Amino acid sequence: MNDSTTKLKSLTDNIETIIRGKPQEIKYVVTALLARGHILLEDNPGAGKTVLAKTLAQSISESTVDFHAAGSGVAFKRIQFTPDLLPMDLIGSYIFDESKKDFVFKKGPLFTHVLLADEINRASPKVQSALLECMAENQITSGDHTFLLDQFFFTIATQNPIEMEGTYPLPAAQLDRFFMKISFGYVSEAVELDIYTNYLAIGDSKNTVKQVLTYHDIIQLQKEAENVYIHPELVQGIVRLVQSTRHHPDIALGCSTRGGIIFIKCLKAWALVNQRDYVIEDDIRALAHPVLHHRLIFRNREASRTALQQLADQEVNKLAKMGIQSKQ
Amino acid sequence: MSKKDNQELFLQLLIRWVLVIVPTGVIGYITLRFLNFSYTALNTGINSQTAYFVVGLMLAYSLYYYGARWIISFVLLWVVYLLFEKIISRLPGEFDVFYTTARFQLYATLFLFGWAFGFLLAKIRWSYIILFGVLAIVTLVSISDTIDISLTYILMHIAPVVVYGLYMLFLTPLLTDRIELDRKKSGKLALRISLFALLIVLAFILTESLFKSDFKAVEKELAARGAKGNKDGSKKEDSKYDDRYGLMDKDDDGYRLKDTMRVNSKMSQSDKLMFCSKLDNYFPDGSPAPLYFVYHYLTKYDPVKESFTRDVNVPSFDEIQVDPTNLPMYYSYTDTSVLRKSMATKLRKVVEAQVYLSENTWKHSVLGPASVFSIQTIPVEKDFQKTFLSAYKITSFTSELNNAYFVYNISASPMLEPLQEERHKELRIVNGYTKVDSTFLNYYTEYPKGGIYDSIGKLALSLTSKDSKPVDKVLAVRDFFLKRNENGKRIFRYTLKAGAVDDPNIPSSKMLYNFLFKTHAGYCTYYAGASLFMLRALGVPTRFTTGFATVNRSDKNKGWYWFYASQAHAWTQVYFPGYGWLDFDMTIGNEDQQGAPKPDGTPPLPPPEPWLVLNARAVSIDAATKSLDASFSQLIYFNTPYTLNKSFTRPIDASLCRVLYDKKDTTLSAIRPGDSLIIVSYKDETKTIPVPRKGISIEQQLNGFPSPIIADEIHIRPREKEKKKEESTTKGVIKEEEKKITWQEIAWLAAKGIGSLLIFILLLPLMYLVYRLLCIVLARDVNAKADQIYRAALYRFHMAGLQRENETPLDYAHLKVDPTLGTSFEEFMRLYLRLKYANGNLRQGDDIIIDQFARTIGSAIRKKIGFRLIINYFNVLLALRYFQQPQQTDYETPLL
Repeated sequence: MNDSTTKLKSLTDNIETIIRGKPQEIKYVVTALLARGHILLEDNPGAGKTVLAKTLAQSISESTVDFHAAGSGVAFKRIQFTPDLLPMDLIGSYIFDESKKDFVFKKGPLFTHVLLADEINRASPKVQSALLECMAENQITSGDHTFLLDQFFFTIATQNPIEMEGTYPLPAAQLDRFFMKISFGYVSEAVELDIYTNYLAIGDSKNTVKQVLTYHDIIQLQKEAENVYIHPELVQGIVRLVQSTRHHPDIALGCSTRGGIIFIKCLKAWALVNQRDYVIEDDIRALAHPVLHHRLIFRNREASRTALQQLADQEVNKLAKMGIQSKQ
Repeated sequence: MSKKDNQELFLQLLIRWVLVIVPTGVIGYITLRFLNFSYTALNTGINSQTAYFVVGLMLAYSLYYYGARWIISFVLLWVVYLLFEKIISRLPGEFDVFYTTARFQLYATLFLFGWAFGFLLAKIRWSYIILFGVLAIVTLVSISDTIDISLTYILMHIAPVVVYGLYMLFLTPLLTDRIELDRKKSGKLALRISLFALLIVLAFILTESLFKSDFKAVEKELAARGAKGNKDGSKKEDSKYDDRYGLMDKDDDGYRLKDTMRVNSKMSQSDKLMFCSKLDNYFPDGSPAPLYFVYHYLTKYDPVKESFTRDVNVPSFDEIQVDPTNLPMYYSYTDTSVLRKSMATKLRKVVEAQVYLSENTWKHSVLGPASVFSIQTIPVEKDFQKTFLSAYKITSFTSELNNAYFVYNISASPMLEPLQEERHKELRIVNGYTKVDSTFLNYYTEYPKGGIYDSIGKLALSLTSKDSKPVDKVLAVRDFFLKRNENGKRIFRYTLKAGAVDDPNIPSSKMLYNFLFKTHAGYCTYYAGASLFMLRALGVPTRFTTGFATVNRSDKNKGWYWFYASQAHAWTQVYFPGYGWLDFDMTIGNEDQQGAPKPDGTPPLPPPEPWLVLNARAVSIDAATKSLDASFSQLIYFNTPYTLNKSFTRPIDASLCRVLYDKKDTTLSAIRPGDSLIIVSYKDETKTIPVPRKGISIEQQLNGFPSPIIADEIHIRPREKEKKKEESTTKGVIKEEEKKITWQEIAWLAAKGIGSLLIFILLLPLMYLVYRLLCIVLARDVNAKADQIYRAALYRFHMAGLQRENETPLDYAHLKVDPTLGTSFEEFMRLYLRLKYANGNLRQGDDIIIDQFARTIGSAIRKKIGFRLIINYFNVLLALRYFQQPQQTDYETPLL
């Protein structure tokens, strides 16, 4: 526990040297990483989402690592999504090898450990769908050949708000693959002042982010996150919350069962990120929005803003009223 | 929407039908019942009315429940109207058309009402407030036309509406949620509803038992007021109504003020028998000599009311001050100071009278000829107990010059004039008031200054000179009222509709001025009031007297008179040194209207006279032989009370005896040894009655009494124990009746009740704190203790003004409590959450943290919040917020 605490601390501290004033968002990203999930960052351009993704990736990977050399480290690739991007640009394609006189599969950038899918909603839905298989099952199929990816496959995607021009909304199935969707928001006045005064230093260090954790550290932390204890009453509460999203009059599409499982995974990871080996009611409140909100379809904008948080608050309040259960 | 959802929705609608529609239908039925009672025009069957109402209610509720639009209701109502049109066009006769139209209108109105109710219930969460208001108004309107209105009646009618309002108040919050048909949860709902019902029933029982007596008192009050209201309303139609009763109205003082009013209002409704009296006053030839019966004297001028009021603190106030209802049977009360205070020596005699009061009469003050100085309560004959509730015998010190033939105004019968001349001749001896005590004289001749009064005074002085004898001044005033104009018609006349009819009080000086100088028409109070002013202006001590004119003399019973409400009267009393106060009635007889003589209300036989009354104590009773032994030391023997020097025991024969306990008939077996008895034996030919002998002590005479003494009546005095019990139950009523402050009493009671309830409510937050702290003390293990400390801490921080909104307790501790109070709540919270959720047990040092935290809460709060904390603990609303769910505020998540 202490070991993992220091490791996590070093990771978050490392990221915070670049990303100022966003400890919560950094925690979310780390949580997604530890829960073996993927994360989608959404905000207006220039909020720092790409930088965050890059910094995280750099903190745990060596740029020089070759993905295909087994067990050597964490590989990091970045894809800039554009409207004319094609699925084969991601997956790779069979190319005729003159020397072998045969078609050889040229692996695309998806074959990596940490993938930064930048501005994912700039690409057409067909490209976005190309990500589905690798994100869900850690494998890539091309033609009649299926390539297995490493168990450690982590996608950080960023996107601009859907209302902006030249964007394609992500399909629901694709959104569901993301464990979390967080928005960045602007930093506070004091932090912004700090950034402006030190932007040169920050800009410099951007390219020289230290690697603080190794591949094995991450695998270790992920295992630990799985072992975080979650009280049966909390699971009960999550069930109630998930169920209530399905009955809410203002929610057209409730949370799926997969959503519930992901929620529990994220809760465990979040507890670990917060240096606990057990989940508490606060975690539900903290994660309800990032984990569940993008899975739901609301009937109106008003509900989109309030309904989920109200349900979560209700549930948390119920749990807070509950006394200590005797443990046998 | 899926089929299952539809099913669920329908199920919810069904539940709501039971919970909302059925009670609303019932209340609609009840309200319609009340309406139907009051408005017979509605008479088309309550059931069908209710049916239309309920159909409208149900349709609207169900439609709006499914989110129907306005257009649907519009279309539906249009269809109903079209149907109506069709029916109308097919009807053959005009009458049928009218009949159907009327019905349609009624049913359509009810249907629309139902529709509106259903719409409100389905759409507006707090609609029951509107419904409650509408129903309450309808109910009040429907009962407002009832003649026999009483508080119980109002309460009975309002109660269902109130219950309905409370029910909806209780139910509405539940309806917003989905009502689950889970057995456990609906069981809870049923429990809550039945608890609510229990609460209502309890409240009603409590109100009933607590305020029953007050209700009755208020009811009486209301009955009186209601009657009065009716009187005012019907005055214009009912010209027979005699406004003279107005004289006993408000311009009296103190408690009796209300009571006189009450007597009046009762009388005014219909001319009722007030009382009858046997007056032992005869002319030397044996023919009965009637006397005016005095009620009160009004002596003091009130410049604010511009009228005369009763004043008990006058010099020589010769009114006996006793409440006859307080006297036990056969007890007498004598105030000989009245004799002195009457300031009369000449031509006085003692007159006895028996007064039998009917239920219409105010029974708490003495009615009798002037200067009553002794009163004794007597029983009412059994046959007349329905007519007369109580009776007393009075002895008064009456002037021989006061008999009614001297007093009557001669306008009614000029034959009286020579007779009255005798009286005036006698009184001409009085030259003036030089020898009269100046305080007395000044009080009774006090005369206000001012324009109106000066004109009245001037008028009086124009009638006679200041030097003439008092009786001539009185006659001058009398003759002024008797003056005739050039046509030989009287200038002054009697009318019930004098001046302002709405004000039946003693006329103000303004009205008197109008009466004297302009209208020349009025009833007795006008004449009495005007002559009072005029006589006082002439320096004659005068007072205003209210009471009853003696008119109806019984032919069958000698010496008996009866008094109807219309005989209530006002006249003046003038003081003549030596002769005392003498009655003068200035009121001109009513020439236009001669009322038919009222039926004889006197009992056919005067009640028997007792020869012996014993104030005894029962020694032993033999129910078989109907005899008892009684010891006594006080007795009344031929109307003379004696107190014996020792107590005697005599056998009493009670074989033909009537036994009464607390004025109710009972049997001899009700007497127990030791009971205090009043034993009465009447004069009766069949008995041997010893004649009182002079010069022999009563003790010796007693030995000559027959043995056993035949008793005719035995009154058992209420026993102490039961008396006490009664005191607790009925004393309230009696007391209130005596005091006549029912409204204040009730207001006070209500204030006390509400006050104690408020205090209880105010103390609730503190009590909850005590409960929470107690829970800590009673906690069994560390986990439970931590739990209780957590709850108590949340409550205490809340009451310290730090309200938790949507935060989790941890955030609350971290963001709100610790920064403000400097407590270690966050540390405790982390520990607590670990205990609650972690898969581990207590760690070392945990209990220390818990204890430390528990100890520091109080001081931390006190240090920071201080005095405000105490106020906070009396803020019930603040405490209430603690128990509420966090408000569903417009919680903003970041816009995406």
